[in-house]
Amino acid sequence: MKAVSQALAGIGQYGFWVRDFCRAVVIHGPPKGQTLNEAFRIGIKSLPILLIISGFVGTNLALQGYNAFKPLGGQRLVGMFVSLAGVRELAPIIAAAMIAAKAGTEMASQIGVMKIREQVDALEVMAVNPLAYLVAPRMIGIMLMLPALTIIAIFVMLSAAYTVSVYQLGLAGHEFIQFAQESIEPIDFLYGAIKAMIFGLIICTISCFFGFNCGKGPEGVGQATNRAVVTSSVLCIILNYFLSELLYGGAL
Amino acid sequence: MIELRNVSKSFGENTILRDISLAIPAGQTTAIIGPSGTGKSVTLKHIVGLLRPDSGQVLCFGTDMASAPEADLYKVRRRFGMLFQDGALFDSMSVGANISFPLVHHAPEMTEAQRREKVEEKLALVGLPGIYDRPTSSLSGGQRKRVGLARAIVTEPEVVLFDEPNSGLDPITSDAIDALISEMKEALGITFIVISHDIVGTINVADHIAMLYGGNLIAFKPTKEFVQLDHPIIRKFLGRNLILPEGPNDVARLPGLE
Repeated sequence: MKAVSQALAGIGQYGFWVRDFCRAVVIHGPPKGQTLNEAFRIGIKSLPILLIISGFVGTNLALQGYNAFKPLGGQRLVGMFVSLAGVRELAPIIAAAMIAAKAGTEMASQIGVMKIREQVDALEVMAVNPLAYLVAPRMIGIMLMLPALTIIAIFVMLSAAYTVSVYQLGLAGHEFIQFAQESIEPIDFLYGAIKAMIFGLIICTISCFFGFNCGKGPEGVGQATNRAVVTSSVLCIILNYFLSELLYGGAL
Repeated sequence: MIELRNVSKSFGENTILRDISLAIPAGQTTAIIGPSGTGKSVTLKHIVGLLRPDSGQVLCFGTDMASAPEADLYKVRRRFGMLFQDGALFDSMSVGANISFPLVHHAPEMTEAQRREKVEEKLALVGLPGIYDRPTSSLSGGQRKRVGLARAIVTEPEVVLFDEPNSGLDPITSDAIDALISEMKEALGITFIVISHDIVGTINVADHIAMLYGGNLIAFKPTKEFVQLDHPIIRKFLGRNLILPEGPNDVARLPGLE
């Protein structure tokens, strides 16, 4: 019972925090010259790890697709399987989980440290709104970069799957491409980007919320960071189901 | 100019301030003293509007910080400077960027060269010339406080608040900070509010002393009169005998305080 009421109180607190954040942004606007820095930190610094992870998810999609369809004699369908699963589901969610693990934890810990060392209070006393100053640039940065990272993840995943299918499993390259083209459409990239923006919104607000509500001392920062990554990745994965239902439901 | 009227504040069941009324004299240094956990920092946070009281008023330049909307709070805060306990410097910025931060946000008409000149001037005033480009991570505890002080005075505020300027410092640096406060008061005519549990330093810098104990204001007098007071808690505090009962509920049991 206690855990449920705590969770409900947390959701309420988060709601009020988001309201305060929106109000702060409307009144004060994001600070000049910060957003590009944040976009760089979030985007460019996460790129190498994203390339590795999405590449190796692509390889395994191809392997398992091959295993699944081979007994049915439909191994040519690997291209279709990889495209549907990769483009629509795995690329957005993997990019989001990775950004939650890298940029989200960084947000929670940076803001948490600023909170416990009175730097957030210092901003307030210097008449600079901490929500607008600290959160708004991170929000814009993540919402610009996560869609871009998702599109990159899609291409890397498909290229890796193609490489494994053609050079390891001996499938015909033109068939892979043909089935891939038939199963996905340009609109899927837009949907991927929309998913990514919504995930970015969630990761940023959840991580910054936990940072601002950080407990005392280094232990508090550790806890805030941990909660930020767990909560935001779980939320993204659950939401991914509903978003897919909403975006692709009719087409499936 | 700054006045607390019947301010009370509790956190949950824990009452921190009980019906505090205090008018801070302008252009002078007022010290708020008392053992740890008696509400000194909480009082300071009420003055700058970081906390709002459960009841009572906090008047700063005619604005009631207890009920004013955010925009009014920000207007009043621009007339304040505050030095936090460990300086509260932004780790990601250099010393110069830290000190010029309030100028960047509130004096956009200044050119970068003008800002730099002003920051160098304040750095010289706190005895740290030539460290404009140093990262804050390279500073010692005392240096962080001085840089924090430079940031607090860079906008030439009318009121400067100090949260424990001497805590965690060695006696020599601590004396140097006290001397700095006295010098700046003479030179700039600023109203200073200092909270401290360091009694010797406080007597040296303060014109007035307010003593909080268990959430009550037990005395508020000019320093000369304060040190003569014949009050058991004050005598104990002045004697640096800090073995005092901890919780607010124990206050009533002490002789001389009903």
